[in-house]
Amino acid sequence: MAGADQKMIRLTSSEGTEFLVERAVVEKSVLLKNMLEDVGESDLGTIANLTLLFFFIPAIPLANVTGPILTKVIEYCTHHRDDPVVTQEDDGRKSSADIDDWDKEFCKVDQGTLFELILAANYLDIKPLLDLTCKTVANMIRGKTPEEIRKTFNIENDFTPEEEAQVKKENEWCEER
Amino acid sequence: MQRSSPPPPVPWVSTTTFHSLPTPAPSPQLLPHLPDGYPITNRPDDFNRTVRMGFQNMDNLQRQRLLAELLDLCNNEQLVFVSNYISPRLKRDFLKELPIEISLHILSFINDPKTLSRASCVSKFWHTLLNDEFTWKNLCVRHHYRRRSSVSLSSPPSPTSSESSDLSSNKRSSHFSYKDHFRRRYIVESNWKNGGRTLVTHISTDVGVVTSLQMCRNYIVVGMDNKKIHVFVASDGKHVKTLTGHEGGVWALQYIDEVLVSGGCDRDVRVWDLNTGQCKHVLHGHTSTVRSLKMKDKRIAVSGSRDTLLRVWDIQEGVLLHLLAGHEASVRCMEIHGDLVVSGSYDCTARVWDLTTGQCLHVLHGHYSQIYSIAFDGERIITGSLDSTARVWSPTSGQCLGILQGHTSLVGQIQLKDTTLVTGGSDGAIRIWDLETYQCIHRMAAHDNSVTCLQFDNKRIVSGGNDGHVKLWDIRTGTFIRELTSAGNAVWRLAFNDTKAVILLQREGKTIMEVLDFEADS
Repeated sequence: MAGADQKMIRLTSSEGTEFLVERAVVEKSVLLKNMLEDVGESDLGTIANLTLLFFFIPAIPLANVTGPILTKVIEYCTHHRDDPVVTQEDDGRKSSADIDDWDKEFCKVDQGTLFELILAANYLDIKPLLDLTCKTVANMIRGKTPEEIRKTFNIENDFTPEEEAQVKKENEWCEER
Repeated sequence: MQRSSPPPPVPWVSTTTFHSLPTPAPSPQLLPHLPDGYPITNRPDDFNRTVRMGFQNMDNLQRQRLLAELLDLCNNEQLVFVSNYISPRLKRDFLKELPIEISLHILSFINDPKTLSRASCVSKFWHTLLNDEFTWKNLCVRHHYRRRSSVSLSSPPSPTSSESSDLSSNKRSSHFSYKDHFRRRYIVESNWKNGGRTLVTHISTDVGVVTSLQMCRNYIVVGMDNKKIHVFVASDGKHVKTLTGHEGGVWALQYIDEVLVSGGCDRDVRVWDLNTGQCKHVLHGHTSTVRSLKMKDKRIAVSGSRDTLLRVWDIQEGVLLHLLAGHEASVRCMEIHGDLVVSGSYDCTARVWDLTTGQCLHVLHGHYSQIYSIAFDGERIITGSLDSTARVWSPTSGQCLGILQGHTSLVGQIQLKDTTLVTGGSDGAIRIWDLETYQCIHRMAAHDNSVTCLQFDNKRIVSGGNDGHVKLWDIRTGTFIRELTSAGNAVWRLAFNDTKAVILLQREGKTIMEVLDFEADS
């Protein structure tokens, strides 16, 4: 658990489940960081005794994030709490090969969860988590034939045979090169 | 961290639990007690409805327990059924269901055009999304496919332009498309790596050594030691004219647009109109072979001679503007940037001159032997010498900023772009240097004999050697990619641009010019 003088934040998921999270972890979310800065230091107080002061901690309701997803998001932010902040322009060497083992394991979830994680990362504005989850989807697409992609994501082939033939022809320039 | 502690394990859900739920089902007969042998098939609908309602009234944990119980009762066939039934439902069409900016963000992590183009065959929605300019612009940036080059060159006709359909019409608009641009550049790149075709091969009827070569947008111009200058059309490599007039071998030439300046053994500098083939001026003055020649623009040119002098000419009027005296031996090489000209000499020094005043601003002392090559971009001067080093100099202070050591023989070939320097030596090696650290990044044992010519751009190096080979290299990794043409006895000169390469070499005793084309052919 957190050190005695660690500032804590309460987050409430869409179904009303409450999470008590260290401020440093919460601030991985740019949305929440800005929100907390707007509220100001004085309102948050320093927590000496968790049980005693619990109900004085401000709660932030997150109507767009369910409990299980918020659990995952907090898990991610806790693991990456000490990572340096990545600047926007720092992604010149963008590639999806550079995912470390912990992150890879973290993303081993069903597609529904991954989907919700992407939306949550986007909503909470956690760029590294958004990048990680998007890379994971990109990796699911990479190297697959159209039919394999359809199978992976349960997509219906809605081309007419003529359209499909044309689209194929349009794209054959990068095969066998 | 989670405040609400999980509820204690619930024992198997009994009927009473159901009735105690906050929202009791409207039906009073939940899970009716069925006598043994009750024929369920008689009233399956009623029973199913009852189960459904009961299920709806359970909480998450209760539902999981019930499902587990039911699944435990299933045989293999039924489990397969369940599995097939469930698995598509667990899948999401991410790109379609996510907000479009996130979908494009996902695609921005895919660098591989094959995957992207296959993805566009998945469905109508994916096809539309994959034609988004953002994705292909990204890919162009990632692959360093600059846009500039495609605008100037004629854009290739689209392969499917004849068919008209909803899918193709929106991107067949008249203006620029990053996808088309990428496609074309991708094909060009792969042609460089393992394709391309020989556009034309000229076998010279008269023997002669090729001394100079330049290829720009319109023309390929070749200077020979047999007094001739041959002019070819750059687009198809066809020979258009031969400029005659020099009374000795041509040793240096340069052209800008239609203005060509040449010099050589006859000590004259000639100014030509490439479009008409006319010689407009013959500029006398040098008392020995003109060994180097550079144009500042279409009005000013500078010649350097074995007579130790440089001459600054107004080539429009055909008059001498300045005589630059100071070197004590032949002026071997020269480069112009802005109003400065730098010259390298066999007297082991280089000099910085002001073109407008004719003043010598700096004498660059340091090399122990003759200077054979020079490069200058306004910020740095690089000189290559017979003392087997290259030196970096400041044009403003004249100070030597660094000594690049590594070659074991004459540094005869030099090209500079930004902080990248590539040198070729008589030791057969090519070295790639980083001018921020003055470190050699890559060293390639390129040729068995001297490197006679080299050129690089931001993707590749092409080198030619006295061993007759023409080699293509990856500039970033320094790795050998392939030989661009079959070997000859010696390679004289080469030049390339985004889609073409010109090679002048001696093969089986004949002087041969090959033009290679890497353009997308559709």
